[in-house]
Amino acid sequence: MTAYGKTLPGALALALLGAASAYAAPPPGRLLAAQCAQCHGTNGQAVSGMEKLAGESEGEIYKELIEMKAKLKPDEIMHRQAAGYSDEQIRLIARYYASLGKSGSTASTGTSSRNRKSRDD
Amino acid sequence: MFSNNRRKLLQASGALAAVGSLGVASRAQAAAPRVVVVGGGFAGATVAKYVRLWNPQIQVSLIEPNPSHVSCILSNLVMTGAAGMSTITLRYDALRTRYGVNIVADRAVGIDTVSRVVTTANGTRLPYDKLVLAPGIDFDAIPGLDSAVLPHAWQAGPQTLALKAQLDSVPAGGTFVMSIPKAPYRCPPGPYERACLLADSLLRRRRAGKVIVLDANSDVVAEPHTFHTAFQTTYAGVIDYRPSSEVLSVDWAGKKIVTNWETIAFDAANVIPPQRAGKLVAAAGLLGSDPATRWAPVNPLSYESKLVPNVHVIGDSQGTGQPKSGHMANAQAKVCADALVRYFAGEQPDPAPMTSSACYSPITATTASWLTVVFAYDPVSGLMKAVPNTLAEAPAPTKGHYEDMFGWARNLFADSFG
Repeated sequence: MTAYGKTLPGALALALLGAASAYAAPPPGRLLAAQCAQCHGTNGQAVSGMEKLAGESEGEIYKELIEMKAKLKPDEIMHRQAAGYSDEQIRLIARYYASLGKSGSTASTGTSSRNRKSRDD
Repeated sequence: MFSNNRRKLLQASGALAAVGSLGVASRAQAAAPRVVVVGGGFAGATVAKYVRLWNPQIQVSLIEPNPSHVSCILSNLVMTGAAGMSTITLRYDALRTRYGVNIVADRAVGIDTVSRVVTTANGTRLPYDKLVLAPGIDFDAIPGLDSAVLPHAWQAGPQTLALKAQLDSVPAGGTFVMSIPKAPYRCPPGPYERACLLADSLLRRRRAGKVIVLDANSDVVAEPHTFHTAFQTTYAGVIDYRPSSEVLSVDWAGKKIVTNWETIAFDAANVIPPQRAGKLVAAAGLLGSDPATRWAPVNPLSYESKLVPNVHVIGDSQGTGQPKSGHMANAQAKVCADALVRYFAGEQPDPAPMTSSACYSPITATTASWLTVVFAYDPVSGLMKAVPNTLAEAPAPTKGHYEDMFGWARNLFADSFG
């Protein structure tokens, strides 16, 4: 790609590529996953007092949410949240957070002085 | 990726100019999509942040006259003295420095939805491709009520401190009267939470006073188990709950409140008037011609007005029937931001958006309850509907929930403003 960029047509192609991807439709799961961010932080980077989701494995997030949905314990707020989403939606959410990596993919700079897992852990 | 879509091609040509290789940088600015957001509460801050987070090529301006947002969430703790104003004061610095939102510290006064221009008080003109209105709530007038002297404290800030002064002024054995407007209003459990903390404060201060709660609704609107238990047990003899009681007028000098049932004397009071969409929503023609319409009709796939194209309404002013709260405002803002990002990519909105609601309410000085529900778009009715088995309240207030409340608030504040 670097050699490509030395010619004007190459630069044009790169710019077009960049422009097209910048305006492309969002990745699947991103909007669903953003509904977790009110408590679990932008891009899963919780500031404190809640579990971070970024970089957890897809399998781990998926399994946890599916189990919560099945249990519906009355004193667990997360069980009710999990119950709102279909298995397919939970798969998309889990895959999205797993794809972000531990540090998240953006300028979000959460710290985690007092993170905790849900009471089920 | 190389779609024939005309919008994409136009945007691509703009982005090309931004590269600079063609030497026409001004073209890029002309082509960059412009989103203008009015109102810097939870809804406005979140949509501004997330549009920039998800596509930094879109220019976003946020018009907000106040230098910071003072959160209603946790504000009843400022009333009791358990927290300071700094806990609920949220600045716009991160939106500007981290996300590149253009903060316009001014008041929006005019909206031209034909030319698509917002005008501010000092005469600045902000053209938009998409406008997002998030002006929060406005209040109905109540005869004799001047909220400057008898606070509603349903917008936090100086009103919160005025309410604290009301509470602090209650004499031993005195009566605090508070009123709850007809639903829908901002924060369904909020007034009941406030009643509990007023009672808790009076008890802890050994004032032996009482709190009369005048509710215009026929029953507790949110968390009925939690609040009926609190009123009948925890605060038995202190809270006097009177449903179906609507405030008709206030006599501030004589310290009396007139309801549809009775006239009640007070030593201190908190009248929360009935609510409607922020003034700008009506001014922009988004409520239509029926004066009974209080909230803006919008399409919940994008929050675009059903009456005026390219104007979106989120947060308390929108009229989808979802509860009005900071958490829900944040939830809707993300659906709106996603729809805007897709729009500028030439795509349709996500056909199946979800919005999640969760909140914590202090019930005593050391315990809290929670309330939660998840909404899904129903394509048949075109409405957001509560998903079965998701609406629930905490079985009982606990110290653990009280601790979680701060984790919830910190993360919600950071996700919206940080």
